Amino acid sequence: MKYKDEIIRSMEWLGEKEDTIFLGQSVKYSGNAIYNTLKTLPEEKRIELPVFEEIQMGMSTGMALDGLVPICCFPRFDFILRCMDALVNHLDKMQHMTEGTFKPKVIMRTSIGSKKPLDGGIQHTQDYTDPIMRMLHEVNVVLLNEPEQIFPEFEEAYNTDCSTLLIEWGDYYNEK
Amino acid sequence: MDKQYLIDFETEVKERYESGEIKAPVHLASNNEEQLIEIFKDVGKDDWVFCSWRNHYHALLHGIPRDTLMDMIVRGKSMSVYSDKPKFYSSSIVGGILPIALGVAKSIKLKGGTNKVWCFVGDMTFETGIFYETYKYSRNFELPLEFVIEDNNLSTNTPVDETWGGKQTVPSDVYYYQYKSEYPHHGTGNWVLF
Repeated sequence: MKYKDEIIRSMEWLGEKEDTIFLGQSVKYSGNAIYNTLKTLPEEKRIELPVFEEIQMGMSTGMALDGLVPICCFPRFDFILRCMDALVNHLDKMQHMTEGTFKPKVIMRTSIGSKKPLDGGIQHTQDYTDPIMRMLHEVNVVLLNEPEQIFPEFEEAYNTDCSTLLIEWGDYYNEK
Repeated sequence: MDKQYLIDFETEVKERYESGEIKAPVHLASNNEEQLIEIFKDVGKDDWVFCSWRNHYHALLHGIPRDTLMDMIVRGKSMSVYSDKPKFYSSSIVGGILPIALGVAKSIKLKGGTNKVWCFVGDMTFETGIFYETYKYSRNFELPLEFVIEDNNLSTNTPVDETWGGKQTVPSDVYYYQYKSEYPHHGTGNWVLF
């Protein structure tokens, strides 16, 4: 299967789980490529949020504390920088701070913005994989380079007892 | 649990900190015992409580056993007191607990739960944008989230009214009280030789 099809397959598999909920911008309404990977999911599984990335990240952490598995969608990697406090100072520190008592499981999706056929420009195409890997210790970070990686990595993200950030390549939606 | 019980607890923390036994910052409370005792009459035992770094009174009033809490503080965890039962979480970053509390409240509503979430914040946090966004979302979606603003007009030693050039009006559906602590932002005011 192709890159984008594997992502859709993974989302549909996650969507069948009773405890999952998908949230973010463009999860229910078109506007970003991520929408096309979610549009086959039931409406009640998707919560379209305002553009407030820090709240979105913290809200996902809170939902996970209460037993849900949020699939927290950020259409572009550049936008994740808007939620770094909630991600780095809170979600990524929670197991340490609570001595393993709270282990919120958030599955985060983001994408390195595509440059072909349209180049989104310097604020929409950055790859922060290396620095974010160095910053995060409790959150797994996975770069999805190949189609065959995709389903097993989302499966692993759901089955593990910690949070995972999965990074996609926007250009591979068309290329692979 | 009465006012004296709370004061005695903080006094013991003060003494153990000054003896060098606690090798991490402590943020002691005072002069807000009566207000918190009154507010916690509304907090259910299954409710979640989210707090900041000054959280000892809240932890005791929500039912964390005295010895458990004291042990946590002595081990250096005063700023991040937590508990799974009763549900309690604290953070030492201004505003950090707000969206997490919002998410718990969102989840409770999605699942049809009946418990609530309580979010205790200082007046500097109340003035920030993240409070505004959290409050607006929670009210628009009628989430079970109560806010308590604890106003000492200070963030560490920075005066809130002076730095903002004024303060916002407190919404009528938010708990609010003012107090003036006898303790400094952290520590006890006395030099400690560790």
